[in-house]
Amino acid sequence: MTLSQRIYRSSAWLLPAIAVAMALVLSFFIDPYLAFLGASWVIFGLLGLSLDIVWGRGGFLSLGQTAFFGLGGYLGAIAAVNFGPVIGNTLLPTLPIAALFGGLCAGVMGSLIFFARMGPLQATILSYTFTLLLWSVTQSLKFTVGDAVVGGDNGMSGIPGMVIGFGPDARALAPNGVFAVCVIVAALAYFATLALMRSTFGRVVDCIRLDIQKTELLGYDVRLVQVANMVWAGAVAGIAGGLFALWSNYLNPSLFSVQEALLPPIHVLVGGLGTLAGPFVGALTIGGLSFWLGGGAAGGQTTLILGVVLVLLVLFLRNGILGALDQLWRRFLPDPNAAARDAGEVRINVDDLDRILRDAEAQVGPAKPMETDQAYKQFGGVIPVNKVSRSFVPGRPMALIGPNGAGKSSYLKTCVGVYQPEGGQVTIGDIDVTNAPIFRRVRLGMGVKNQKPQVFGALSVYDNLWTAAYARTRDKAKASDVAGRILAMLGMTAQSGVEAQALSHGQQQWLDIGMVLCLAPRVVLLDEPAAGMTNEETRELSLLVRTLARHTTVVVVEHDMEFVRTLEGHVTVLHQGEVFAEGDIDSLRADERVLDIYLGRRQHV
Amino acid sequence: MEADFLATVLLSSLSSASILLIATIGLAVVFGLMGVINLAHGEFLMIGAYTALTATQAGVPYLLAIPIAVVVTMAIGALVEVLIISRLYGRIFDTMLATWGISIAFYQLAVLTFGTVSPGIGMPQISVKIGDYSLALYPLLMNVVALLILGFVYLLMTRSIYGMKARASIQVPEMARAIGISSARVNTMTFALGCGLAGFAGAVLLPIVPATPSMGFAFVIKAFLTVVVAGPVTLTGSAFAAIGLGGGASVTASFLTSVAGDAFFFIVTALLLWRFPLGISARWRRKL
Repeated sequence: MTLSQRIYRSSAWLLPAIAVAMALVLSFFIDPYLAFLGASWVIFGLLGLSLDIVWGRGGFLSLGQTAFFGLGGYLGAIAAVNFGPVIGNTLLPTLPIAALFGGLCAGVMGSLIFFARMGPLQATILSYTFTLLLWSVTQSLKFTVGDAVVGGDNGMSGIPGMVIGFGPDARALAPNGVFAVCVIVAALAYFATLALMRSTFGRVVDCIRLDIQKTELLGYDVRLVQVANMVWAGAVAGIAGGLFALWSNYLNPSLFSVQEALLPPIHVLVGGLGTLAGPFVGALTIGGLSFWLGGGAAGGQTTLILGVVLVLLVLFLRNGILGALDQLWRRFLPDPNAAARDAGEVRINVDDLDRILRDAEAQVGPAKPMETDQAYKQFGGVIPVNKVSRSFVPGRPMALIGPNGAGKSSYLKTCVGVYQPEGGQVTIGDIDVTNAPIFRRVRLGMGVKNQKPQVFGALSVYDNLWTAAYARTRDKAKASDVAGRILAMLGMTAQSGVEAQALSHGQQQWLDIGMVLCLAPRVVLLDEPAAGMTNEETRELSLLVRTLARHTTVVVVEHDMEFVRTLEGHVTVLHQGEVFAEGDIDSLRADERVLDIYLGRRQHV
Repeated sequence: MEADFLATVLLSSLSSASILLIATIGLAVVFGLMGVINLAHGEFLMIGAYTALTATQAGVPYLLAIPIAVVVTMAIGALVEVLIISRLYGRIFDTMLATWGISIAFYQLAVLTFGTVSPGIGMPQISVKIGDYSLALYPLLMNVVALLILGFVYLLMTRSIYGMKARASIQVPEMARAIGISSARVNTMTFALGCGLAGFAGAVLLPIVPATPSMGFAFVIKAFLTVVVAGPVTLTGSAFAAIGLGGGASVTASFLTSVAGDAFFFIVTALLLWRFPLGISARWRRKL
């Protein structure tokens, strides 16, 4: 590995660490006025970080981060006014309370948004109107807590400065000291966030952004992870608000104004979305520019300039400064996806597969049957699933066939939990899962492969498999073991480090199947797995499905009759949402009625 | 006496709901037909108000100033769509951010051009007496205007060629393109129409809501929430949501304070979205 590669890999902590050290050294020399301004840039960088966590990583554009910032600031300031004179130190009461309150408010809003599974647009608008509402509410909100007076649109004054000493003699820090404290607090928040985002929690957050449905199909409770991520971001925003209160000694409702709310997205976009360090770069750049340009003609029109800048950023600079640098740097590094080009055809190692399936059975128990009893689903006047009662058992593949519009996919979606049936019952093993969310069914042993390959494009092949294995094992070492074995079984060891998006369509299908196998499912549902595969690949797939069916229940929805024939399994024909016929493929091929509906002869259509 | 008070509150609440509907309909059209939320909607309303105000100050009769406002806002809307929105199709977060940037830039431009306070135009001082209470006539008139505007949009969508194309594009985009409908031109028209409706709202509400640069922000909380609660079915959905939420907020506001009305609005919206995460009309079969 070259030096450049090494630095690149550690750049997320190395470069920020250097920047922090430089800032701390500079804090002894710089002009107090610049230190005063610099502290505010760091604070806004921290606020930007909180947005980057929910948006860049979590994939939800929150326009409410300034609300958590302001709320944390207000409550932190109330704590500072009341406890500061008693113990001397003001950071100690302010920051934890600000963090807690910011996190709490974000948690309430996050629960509302994510547990209801709101659409992205609804969620963003709700967060924005929450901020606007606070703006108007705080104008007239006047109350007193101990010595702290919150005075509506007069704001809250008399907030003490930053004091790090204790006792009655402790003095507030000078601007240079305030700057240093802000840098240290921001650095702690940044590195803690970085560690969190590199943990398995961060991995799941990334997966949710890339493909939320697939993440849930791996058995992760995506709603909990999203809310937890939002709480963390809210706490970071709260800390920034607490620092801001102690820095400015004065708060007023303009914290919640539109002009203020505009800043975090701008800082994030300038620095680089999803980079975590980007918001600091963005805040420093914007802050520095307006400082050097001065308060002249340009300074008075900040709002106008910010608005135009936001439009231009969205149109032309999607990756921001750090994103652009990253792309530039990667050009001089070896291409990690080079191995994708030498990938040969997939050859399933049946012995390996058999061993993997036996081990899975030893670990998680025998195959489970899946049953639907009178399952019924209606969309307006269309009834794609009309009282289908079916029992799927292990032993041999169970295929579902039928002409277009027969209700095959809708039936499968009812089993998976994408559709909630209006009537009837779905069971896995003996457990009723009719109204259970998807991830609960997966934890009961359901494994699902949808028609299109669902892989996390930005993650490596190995990481895709590992994330799936970890969802079941909840143990890093076991997950590595499982992922390694599935990788070898698929014969993709050479492509282990390749990004999944660089794989061909067929290889992505195999990777997706591998991820399903990582879950050690007891019931496997495959929706048109042979779609888009070559003849050789279809043969391998047929082998895999037959091997799989010896150990687990396998349900295959398929169009390709030739493929269904090679499965040598039990076949159910669906027609107009109902079970039309069943048996093995040869007897169905001889059935005049089945031929009628496939060929569209008049009688049964 | 009690009944009089109740009738007054109900009538003025109905007017509030109608005013909300007038201010929201443009936003709902854009959301329903393009799937994006125009965060600059409030500023288009403001531009409409200022256009009408400037026109009346220049001697144009008020009734003639309204169409002028519509034309001006439609032109600006079309320009914004072609220059900015059309480059961002399929990127809803970016579209929202871009329109947000436009919103704040327009706001500041208005501050620069007109200052922060400006004179209202005299409202026709006719009022209606109900028992001991008297109600101003103009807000009551807004109920009629709301009905007219609903009817206009309905006719436009069902009877005009543009409306057919727009509805076709939203329902089956591939098929619409396959039969030669240029979705880009339809979108430009839709966005311009939404902005024009905002401009109409600003102009027609001018006697009640004086033009100020920040007037947009005052409207948008309720307008945005109404649209997300309403969901994708433009006309019926928004009408239901505006009457329910706007009326409810106005009743709350008349017994408590206007801030309480806003808070009521937000909380009810949050609860409704909890129950209907994609809006109340997301599962309706009707599409208009």
